[in-house]
Amino acid sequence: MSEAKFRLRVTYQKVGPVRFLSHLETARACERSIRRAGLPYAVTHGFNPHMRIAFGPALPVGTAGRAEMYDVWLTELVGPDDALERLRHATREELRAIACRYVDPKGPSLAAAADVAHYEVAVSGPPEVAESIARGLSSVSRSGTLTVEHKGKQKVFELATTLLKEPVVRPVDEGAVVEVVTRMSEQGSLRPDALVKAALGPALAGVASVSVTRTRLASRAADGTEEAL
Amino acid sequence: MSDAVREAVERLLPGVEQPSRYVGCEWNAIDRRATAQPYRAVLAYPDVYDVGMANQAIQILYAMLNALEGVACERVFVPWKDMADALRSAGVALYALESFDPVNEFDLVGITLPHELAYTNVLELLDLAGIPLHAEDRSDAHPLVVGGGPCAYNPEPLAPFFDAVLVGDGEVAAVEIVQTHRRCKQAHMTRRETLAELAKIQGVYVPSLGQHRVLRRAVADLDAHRSPACPVVPYTDVVHDRVAVEVLRGCARGCRFCQAGTIYRPVRERRPDSIVRDAMAALRCTGYDEVSLTSLSTADHSAFVEVLGRLGRRLQGTDISISVPSLRADALTPDVARLLGKAKRTGLTIAPEAGTQRLRDVINKNITEDGLLDTVARAFASGWRRVKLYFMIGLPTETDDDVAGIGELVGRVLAAARDAVPANERGSVRVGVSVSTFVPKPHTPFQWEAQPPLEEVHRRQELLRERMPRKGVELSYHDAEASFVEAVLACGGREVAAAVEAAWRRGARFDAWTEQFSLDRWRAAFEESGLDASAIANRPRDPFEPLPWSHISSGVSTAYLRAERERAFAGQTTPDCTFAGCTGCGVCGALGVSNVIAGGVRV
Ligand code: SF4
Repeated sequence: MSEAKFRLRVTYQKVGPVRFLSHLETARACERSIRRAGLPYAVTHGFNPHMRIAFGPALPVGTAGRAEMYDVWLTELVGPDDALERLRHATREELRAIACRYVDPKGPSLAAAADVAHYEVAVSGPPEVAESIARGLSSVSRSGTLTVEHKGKQKVFELATTLLKEPVVRPVDEGAVVEVVTRMSEQGSLRPDALVKAALGPALAGVASVSVTRTRLASRAADGTEEAL
Repeated sequence: MSDAVREAVERLLPGVEQPSRYVGCEWNAIDRRATAQPYRAVLAYPDVYDVGMANQAIQILYAMLNALEGVACERVFVPWKDMADALRSAGVALYALESFDPVNEFDLVGITLPHELAYTNVLELLDLAGIPLHAEDRSDAHPLVVGGGPCAYNPEPLAPFFDAVLVGDGEVAAVEIVQTHRRCKQAHMTRRETLAELAKIQGVYVPSLGQHRVLRRAVADLDAHRSPACPVVPYTDVVHDRVAVEVLRGCARGCRFCQAGTIYRPVRERRPDSIVRDAMAALRCTGYDEVSLTSLSTADHSAFVEVLGRLGRRLQGTDISISVPSLRADALTPDVARLLGKAKRTGLTIAPEAGTQRLRDVINKNITEDGLLDTVARAFASGWRRVKLYFMIGLPTETDDDVAGIGELVGRVLAAARDAVPANERGSVRVGVSVSTFVPKPHTPFQWEAQPPLEEVHRRQELLRERMPRKGVELSYHDAEASFVEAVLACGGREVAAAVEAAWRRGARFDAWTEQFSLDRWRAAFEESGLDASAIANRPRDPFEPLPWSHISSGVSTAYLRAERERAFAGQTTPDCTFAGCTGCGVCGALGVSNVIAGGVRV
């Protein structure tokens, strides 16, 4: 068996109805697109050989992604543009590959390196919704913490360390868009829709839908600056 | 319209289990833009997406109909209860997966009928789609509702709900149905006139025209129709998540309880070249990591070892594996074991069906005890640690000795397995025993036989439980209550339709899912519709009385079925005609087909 020499980092989008796929379903779909693309992917040795691939942090079911990532190990070097071209032909628009580059095979895993996530939360509702969110956000941040319930368990987030930037609220035609940047950790990450829903408070009842898109994953350097993955 | 449906559906998805069942946009699904064709069909499977997408007929017909000029074909499945309820309360009609357009706006809805316990789901599907349940209540504006699949061979219990039913292979007939319907639409014919045109197609039964005679369709040469080169690739973890290549259709072994053994006759093997070509093409086009060679009994293919060898060489060094879901135990030669690789060691299944040689001769099951024990010894000696055995209770002429014989046979299998493994590994030997209940099926030599009453089935199950070795054996029973309902739905006539509808109105859906099935609900439905269910399931029939499915011909002569029944009771076996020459079932003459053995001879 040939060696896994080259580590190709693929950025792809997950938009439209496929945002309802689970992490496992998405991973399987990506693996199949690599086989269809005919890339010379490396296979693990042993009893039940499988593709050498590693995925970035999971997206919750229902959250879209504009720049999600995985690393696949190749046995031969394929030009990044060529690899991208082949993947683009092997993926549906909703799960399209949008960038390819090689990274250090010995570098940290995507899941460990990606600790900053940028989100856009689209809230569709009446025009005044942007203002109620903005007001709600400042009162939430004054309290310093946010308690979120998930599957019957309560979790408390310290907003000063969880939020890496002050959320930005923009009014749009049919509601508002909120930009949120969070720090992800092993202990779990704050879902930005939970933050926006908490900010809305009772005004949530007048909202038609809240949808979330992760727009960027990055890594945080020791000095607090952001680095692309 | 479709955008509104899409938005409405996306609002429901966060609240349901496995939303990926409902989103469509899979790889190789036709593009939503391509769905706007003058003629639109939708293929439906009466179960959830994860079960339905494993059905090969859906993939075959989907590819064929979409290849027709001016035709777009989409798919739809029955939403699980949570989604069905959500759609109903949101007032959203069932939609097709590609365009999100409502199913009731299509020209034709084709529904596969895989087994009787899916009947209530057919009504659930029609109701969710907003299509009147009864064909007579549909107007020219409604889609044509056409059934097909194994249950088409007794269409009567569902007759009021279908405009037409196709009996037999769909490869050519489905295209004829679509073309005829299209022509009728263009000529502005009424629904009645259209149905009369459809009834002229061989294999098509139109219930509203009375019980006219229908002769089944069968393709003479499977190789004239490619296995789909680009099947749709689901996101959801479906039941058989892999490329499936049908390597042969039909099985002429002639088990006397088996309906498939009649309705898929004769044997039609695909040539090794086409199997390898279609498997490789579909793997490239889907990106799957597994290819499965399917049929009723894949190892019967006369070039089975050659096909395995060629595919194995092509896939060497990749992460792609080959699987054979219906591998007969006696086909597990050392060659085959090596070619299938280690990954397939998990499941070895054998279906002796009966516990004594006498009863195995009655049912024409060609498995001897010595052969069985040899196979088990060989398999366990070469690494297998589990085997699953399938048996049936309630077969015609069964006595308590036959039931006890199952326990004894299992004991000997267990001993043979333990003897074949090193002493220190004996503790890990497992024999799974799965016991189902005999269901008389139309078009079989046992179509005149009775299913024993439920209390008697339970008594025999109890008897078997007492006689079954405990250590190392995992015994499971197929729900006898569900088998009773299955027998009623399989053998009943048009009068059963009211009971199916009553059961559905009482909440029956997903009856094939054990935890969803309720006998009480069905009993109430039988009573409400004045049906004596026991008189259908538990009554022996006279071999010369007319049966509810007498007007439907599989091509196999009734005289042959009667003769097979006589031979059964005389304990005489009948050989496989692909080995021993024609045994006179009549299907080849009636349909103008013959056994196609790609490798020349069977060995
Ligand atoms: S007609 Fe003869 S050869 Fe043909 S399937 Fe029947 S028994 Fe076999």
